[in-house]
Amino acid sequence: MRWTTLSVVVLLVVAGCSGGESSVPGTAPTSGIDALVAKAPVAADLPAGSTMARIRQRGELLVGGSLDAPLLSQQDPGTGRLTGFDADLGKLLAKYILGEPKTRLVTATSETREPLLANGTVDVVLQTYTITPQRAERVAFAGPYYSSGQAIAVRRGTGGIAKPADLAGHKVIAGANTPSIAAVKAAAPTAEIVEFGSDPECLTALRQGRGEAYVQDQALLIADAAQDKDLQLVGEPFTTDPYGIGLKHGDDQFKQFVNDWLREIQKSGLWQDVWRGSIGTVVAGDPPAPPVIGSAQGS
Amino acid sequence: MSHLPALVDGFLTTLALVALSFTGAFALGLVVVVLRIGPLGVLRAVGTGYVETFQNIPLLVWLVLFVFGLPEVGVRFPLFTTAVVVISLYEAAYVAEALRSGVNTVAQGQGEAARALGLTFGQTLRHVVVPQAARRVVQPLGNIGIALTMNTSLAAVAGVVELTASANRVNLVEALPIPIFVGAGLCYALLAAGIGGLAGLLERRLAT
Repeated sequence: MRWTTLSVVVLLVVAGCSGGESSVPGTAPTSGIDALVAKAPVAADLPAGSTMARIRQRGELLVGGSLDAPLLSQQDPGTGRLTGFDADLGKLLAKYILGEPKTRLVTATSETREPLLANGTVDVVLQTYTITPQRAERVAFAGPYYSSGQAIAVRRGTGGIAKPADLAGHKVIAGANTPSIAAVKAAAPTAEIVEFGSDPECLTALRQGRGEAYVQDQALLIADAAQDKDLQLVGEPFTTDPYGIGLKHGDDQFKQFVNDWLREIQKSGLWQDVWRGSIGTVVAGDPPAPPVIGSAQGS
Repeated sequence: MSHLPALVDGFLTTLALVALSFTGAFALGLVVVVLRIGPLGVLRAVGTGYVETFQNIPLLVWLVLFVFGLPEVGVRFPLFTTAVVVISLYEAAYVAEALRSGVNTVAQGQGEAARALGLTFGQTLRHVVVPQAARRVVQPLGNIGIALTMNTSLAAVAGVVELTASANRVNLVEALPIPIFVGAGLCYALLAAGIGGLAGLLERRLAT
């Protein structure tokens, strides 16, 4: 099921598609990110002794991220290729620093992100890392590079849930270690949260009646609903989650550098192309306006 | 520290998981070991089959199978119940083996002598074998209890918000993984020490 989504992503990127019209699932062995990488910018001289210079010397960018986040950062076990919005941005950032898209993914989890950055195991974290003031005390955030929102999905035909407050008193399924948990608690404190590790598990649990609603990032839910006709989205996203690129705390020079790069790819339209090739394959319409760099509290 | 209630809730859930699962595992383990050492070949085979099945498939696999597989055939228990049942079934295999090793420490001649004196299989167990075996299995059972305590953290996968899951939740907000998980680790250590102490106490009691 997930692979079909992936193939759609891949196919659309390859086709260099414009706009977000839905496409029939197909198969395409290569990824169109290569075309984007080819026209992506490369930074001019890097200041000696800076983090960027050290990365260039090493020859690869160490990225903390996921292997199992559809549309964002997902590895195809067959080819080993990493696709998705976060994954593609990682490649573009690597190109900017190194001149070639050489990244190495270090699997991070919500428990390990801060230590991985603090002890230098990874250079950046690109993992739907929501910028919050608490987190900004331990890590630096470049961006926000994407603004997401939590939305509600139910099994088709479920009545009585039309807005977040309606979740009160219901069993609500949410992904473990996702911002959904806090979002549900804030919107409906009396909702009982049932959490599972991955999106497919959450969907199975919803289908099996372990809960009446499923709260998850809207883009993911749209992708799920495209595969599963029994899944119905209810209303619009009810939160705003600004995703940032996690960097080592206090490394202002690197943060400035990454922010400059983000502004550059936003202006040149590269950001929008990456969106079209990933999230845009399931969300209809034009790319949203990219978030203003530094606009989130903590960035 | 506004998260203390959440962590305490998680700790209590872990405690409940440990207590219920160990009780279940012990009861079931007793049945299995009686099957395994019994005189009937068919029942011995059933007991052996049980132990081999549960010892040779990881607990995580059992949890996923029970949580996501059973509802597919129309059986749906609450998640907490599912976790208790699965951990009990799994640990019962280990309990049974520990009990069997205890029984095996009682020289075979004693059992034969008891039967020769006219005691039934049940009487032989009750009056001759079990009193001697009991004190020898206390420590192994304590170890199984500790292992079971650590294994309850897998229930987080089944959607049960026990200590590990609640530590995860708190960390998601606070982004302080090291102190939070060191704290959770200390709670587990405390539980393990409690179980170890209890086993020691019980062993001394049974020795007199």
